[in-house]
Amino acid sequence: MASKSPSASAAAARARLSTADLRLQRWLRYQRVRRATLALSVLWVLGLPLWHLARDLFESAGLAAGSRWAVLAALSARPPNPPLLGAPWTVSLFGLELLDPTAFVSLLAARAVDWHVVLGALPLLVLVPFLGRFFCGWLCPYLPVLAASNGLRALLARAGLRLPDLKLPRWTQYAVLAGLLSATAVAQTQLIPLVYPPSLIAREAYRAVFQGSLGGGAVFILGAFLFDTFGSRAGFCRSLCPGGATFALLSVRSPVKVRREPAACTDCTLCDVVCNLGQQPMTDKLDMGCERCGKCVSVCPTDALRIEIGKPVTLAPEAVTPGAAR
Amino acid sequence: MNRRGFFWGALAVATGAAAGAWTRVAKATARLRPPGAKPGRAFDAACIRCFRCAEVCPPKAIRFDTSYSLNASDLPYLDAREQACVVCMKCTQACPTGALTPLPLDLGVVQKAVRMGTPVLDRKSCIPWRGEGVCRLCYYVCPYPDSAVALVGPQQAPVFDAKACIGCGLCEEACPRIAHAIHIVPLEEEKKA
Repeated sequence: MASKSPSASAAAARARLSTADLRLQRWLRYQRVRRATLALSVLWVLGLPLWHLARDLFESAGLAAGSRWAVLAALSARPPNPPLLGAPWTVSLFGLELLDPTAFVSLLAARAVDWHVVLGALPLLVLVPFLGRFFCGWLCPYLPVLAASNGLRALLARAGLRLPDLKLPRWTQYAVLAGLLSATAVAQTQLIPLVYPPSLIAREAYRAVFQGSLGGGAVFILGAFLFDTFGSRAGFCRSLCPGGATFALLSVRSPVKVRREPAACTDCTLCDVVCNLGQQPMTDKLDMGCERCGKCVSVCPTDALRIEIGKPVTLAPEAVTPGAAR
Repeated sequence: MNRRGFFWGALAVATGAAAGAWTRVAKATARLRPPGAKPGRAFDAACIRCFRCAEVCPPKAIRFDTSYSLNASDLPYLDAREQACVVCMKCTQACPTGALTPLPLDLGVVQKAVRMGTPVLDRKSCIPWRGEGVCRLCYYVCPYPDSAVALVGPQQAPVFDAKACIGCGLCEEACPRIAHAIHIVPLEEEKKA
């Protein structure tokens, strides 16, 4: 009887979830957690060179003061070696080596893989097929730039300016990755770091601090910002980034997915609108491009969406067409 | 993937290959690479431009090329006259991809394994060779005195042995500004010549 009204069936659906599931949901609901993770990542990318600079300044201050005691005081007061080295693209975290799968693929293309590389890439090669494109939504230092671009888009839209939103086809990203890898293989030089924002932004930050100059990377990021703002919403992340393509390809069979409870869904389209990457949770049209940011889950007014760890499902096109569900 | 995607993918691969081939033909300026660097193109292929070598470098001698050339962009290099390598080998241990071969801080091992460039002395500018006095700065800073550089004659003029020199550039950095007689020629440039 109660199952007739949508809210009652939503309650019934919620009752089916275990408490652990609910806890996970509540945790994911807090976009605050994601923003905090993101802030830490950005702080690390921009703060690391400053940390090194501080160390250097303490050292040279002691040396400049001249006396042996001043040197000793400065050396003991300076910040310790940071617990991590490197940009998000390759990290040494308390001695644990982590290498971006994109770097691994690129090194494979350049035939420059040795045991160092395999060992460093292993943790993420295991994690990414499980968690999917989470890096893009939770850690990528390009996200603040994207947020600025989206903000500017909204502002200009409010001012009455109609900005184009070019939707490049899904395969564009994979074509870009394939092109870059083939160029890498022929040129025998690493090209992906020159167009991959996590690598670029960290390097530009380092160079700005220690060389007082910016390279082609800054120009590239500016270009991506302009493209995102005036060409296509989140167009770089969605259809051009080679790293996003690698993550997506690795996560074809990821079990962590946004699922919808059709009984509770009111077809309000909020989730489709909030998604940067053009996923459509409302009609269950999600593919491997989903970055697991949970924004759709947070925005849903009827709790119809949740991130679920289920058995791996490959979302074939026929499985997501509304006709097949009926 | 549909047929159109396949077509564009194939086109991207072909364009990439063409661009790669063009990059290979284009010239790049030879630079001093950090110690333990793989020779020539193998270094470009293995270096993922992560700047960890520069991060751990105590005197911050390792810098990044800001040129827009695809060949050279963002590759680490040293400008020995500005700041030479202090032969601590920390960068080789920080490299995540083996573009720099990990080496211990052992001068004997380093001398066998490292060859960043070759020293070229311009005797017309060198103070003792010009007969203007005793200098010996290069000899004092060299990590391999009497092996990579020896002093000869009454003016104690330096003579370099390219086979024993690792090319750290400490002598180039130390050489007085009025002389600038020493230059470490990067390995690649030397091969071309």
